[in-house]
Parts: sequence; structure tokens; C-alpha cells
Amino acid sequence: MANTNKSVLIKIKRQNTPTSKSYWEEFELAYHPGMNVISSLMEIAANPVTREGKATSPITYDSNCLEEVCGSCAMLINGRARMACSALIDNLEQPIKLEPFAKFPVVRDLATDRSVIFENLKAVKAWVPIDGTYDLGPGPRMTAEEQEQAYPISRCISCCCCMEACPQFNEDTGFVGAATIAQVRLFNTHPTGKSLQRERLAALMGDGGIQECGYAQNCVEVCPKDIPLTRAISEVGGEVMKQAIGDLFRR
Amino acid sequence: MASAAGSTAPAAVHQGVAPLRAGQGYSFLLRRLHSLSGIVPVGAFLFEHVLISNATAISGPAAYARQVQFLASLPLVPLLELFGIWLPIAFHALYGFYIWYRGDGNTIAYPWTGNWMYTAQRWTGGIAFAYILWHTWTMRFTGVDLHVHPEISFGKVQAEVLQPALFIFYVVGLIAASWHFAYGIWLFCAKWGIVSGEKARKRFLAVCLGFFFLLSGVGLASLATLRKYPQQPTEPGTAVMNNKQITEGR
Repeated sequence: MANTNKSVLIKIKRQNTPTSKSYWEEFELAYHPGMNVISSLMEIAANPVTREGKATSPITYDSNCLEEVCGSCAMLINGRARMACSALIDNLEQPIKLEPFAKFPVVRDLATDRSVIFENLKAVKAWVPIDGTYDLGPGPRMTAEEQEQAYPISRCISCCCCMEACPQFNEDTGFVGAATIAQVRLFNTHPTGKSLQRERLAALMGDGGIQECGYAQNCVEVCPKDIPLTRAISEVGGEVMKQAIGDLFRR
Repeated sequence: MASAAGSTAPAAVHQGVAPLRAGQGYSFLLRRLHSLSGIVPVGAFLFEHVLISNATAISGPAAYARQVQFLASLPLVPLLELFGIWLPIAFHALYGFYIWYRGDGNTIAYPWTGNWMYTAQRWTGGIAFAYILWHTWTMRFTGVDLHVHPEISFGKVQAEVLQPALFIFYVVGLIAASWHFAYGIWLFCAKWGIVSGEKARKRFLAVCLGFFFLLSGVGLASLATLRKYPQQPTEPGTAVMNNKQITEGR
């Protein structure tokens, strides 16, 4: 570990504009303990020179919290979707390959446009409806059991790793993705959020809805927040079926 | 950047995966029908076909002939076959290929068990369908009609199973279909919220794995029996037993 001569080799897939062609650049950094992918990108920004000694532009990437709670810095690291801030150099095979998410439009370099998850969350009304013209007073209490069910799902950071790794999430299916389905589970568990349950479940029956899940279970493997995504998909899948079959007889 | 400025259409074209289309389309109905049809009637038929009807081969040619005769005696056999077997299998297979075509398998980047099973479900389905097409063509649609001459059923199947290449095709088709059905039951229960928790899904996977071994094991035992016997008659009229004797032997 204390070897000061050690260096870190990073290959980065770059792209100047959303429509231009991508190209690779290699960077070599001096190793020091505790480095992660984001700190390496910061070092490159401080001295944007490629391995061959050619001056270049700093790498564009999204990041904010640097502690795996904001969801910004998701990218493909050695081919796999994960958060760059928690990707320690010590644990990565070199040369480290950094690429933007492949299923989201590239803005520039490693920054992608992941606004589709926001559109999906809006489509399923992933919120607790409390807006009104007067004070509604305190809502009903949640039981400890309900809280335990809800809390893990509430940790979602909208990083979109689950969607990037999903074989069903692509332009052909327009699949909504695991994160949004889990949020339906979260808000349908909430005593006040429940009031929109019917609309949320109905939204998930639209094209690109929960039916597109192929249960490959990559989502739950890549999720940096360990959200029980497959469990949420099963539970919401059951609720959606109950509503679909119930409506067949009662509506 | 110069190229972007020079292009006539500005970057208004939004690329990438479309958001959820709430309230639109029929894919929910079709996907769920596909899922259900794999259990009932296609899976139920496979269960009957391997574990009941063809398992009677283990009891020998006479028992086998009686079972075929019983199936042929069911009321409205052509309608049962059309709506209970052929159309459901055709829908399940063709819509299944469409699902396969639309998915982007990524087992190289994400080589985890569930992801391999996702890919295996597509390949086993494809192999089983190729086998089923050939199997129904040679057994049901061409050659001697076994519903008319059930006494030569054992011999007609033997004529294929005793050929090494075709025997291997039988084994591959059996194992592919058994796996596709067994893991399909697990997928059905996971997707329909019947088995949802992590532990429950793991336990149920063991149950489905056991069912796979049962289904393929009984199928292999039937095939082994068919190979054990000397070749039975394959031409109507040459069979040792005639229809009358089969009926009396019941």
C-alpha cells in the first residue's frame, strides 16, 4: 500500500456533445491511499493531461455529495453501473474503464441525461398528496412494521443504476424500471400516500409498465442502497394484478 | 460542436428510453396473458403429457396404448387440441419470441445467477419450441394417426427414440421444456406477487428445482423404457393387440 511509485491507469470514454462521436483517452495518476473514482476525476481536472502528455479538457461528470446519498455520480465503471464516489481505486481492476451510462443520452463525457426517472416518478404520482387550502392536521400514524417496510425503499437516490443494468430497460420496451416501481410500493404503504394507490397501480399497467419486468434481478444486485427491489416488484405486481382482476368484476 | 451548430435540426429530438405511458396500450394484458398461458393451459398440458400420459410407457406397450386410446376417446378432441394446446402454445411461443427480441441480455457485464436464468429462460423456450414443432409434426400430423390406431403408439414413438440422433433431440427437448416450465412457475409466482419475499422466493426456487428434476426424471425414465423394449409393430394391423383386446384388457 505504501508503494509511492505505484500509479493508477484510467481509460475514459469521452464525448464532446450529445450528438458527436465518442473517443477514448487514457490518464495515469500517482497512487495514494483512499483514492476513489471521483477524487481521480478531480485530480485529472486539476491537471488535464493525458497519459501521452497531450493537454486536454477536464472530464465532465455529475457529482455532488461524495458519500453515496445524492445519486449524481452513477456511471459505468469497468463495464458495470455503480456510484463513482464509493468506487475505491484499491478495489478496482486496472486499467479502470469509465464510461457514461449506455441507456441514457450523453450530455458530455460521463454526464448523462437521466430525467426519464423524474418523468416516471411523476407518471406514478410518487408523492404524498397534502397540498390544500387549509391545514389538514396530523396524518394517521404508521405502525413500526410499516416503517420498517418503508424505510429501506425511502433510501432510493434515483441514480438509475437499476435501470442501466436491467436487460428489459431499453428503447424497445420503454420499461419504467425498478426504482419507480419501488417508489409505488413506498407511497402506497404511506397512510396518506395510500389515497393515490389506485392511480399509481393503474399507471403501472400502461405500456412500459411493471409487466415488462423479466425478473433478471440485476436491479437488486447493482442497487448501491440495497433496496429490496425484486421484493417491491413482486409485491406491487401482486397489487396490480389484484386491481386488474378486481376491476374486471367490479367496474 | 461545429457539427452540432451546423445541423439543421436542433437538439430537440429527445433520445433515450421513453417514460412510462400510463393508460396507454395493451402490453399489460398481453404480457400477463403470456405469463398465465405458460402455466394454464400450456404448463398443465406438459404436466399431463410427461407425468401422466407418457409415464404409462414405463408400464409397457399395452398400458401406453390404453392411455392413447383414452385420450382419443375424450369428447371433441379436435377442439380440445386446438384451444387447449395448439393456439395457447402458438401464442405463448410467438409472443415469447417477441419478448426475447425486445430484451437486451447482458450476462457478460452482469454475470449473476438471476440474469443467467433470464437468458436461459429465452433459450430453453426457443429450443423447446423447435422440438415441439418437429415432435407434433412427426407424431400428430404425419404418419399413422394414433387416435385411430392407438395399438401402435409404443412402436411409433420407439421408431424415433431408437435412433441415437433423434433420442438426443428428445432428451434435449424434454430438459429444455422441463426447465422452462419449472423456472416459469417460479417467475410466474414472483411476478404475480404470489411468492414475494426474499426468503420465500429462495425456498420456492428449491421447490421448482425439485419439480424440474421430477419432470425431466420421469420423462427420461419413459424414454429409457421405450429404448429398452424391442421395436414394437409400427403398421396398423400388424400390432400384437388389436383395439378389442386393449378395451378388454382394461
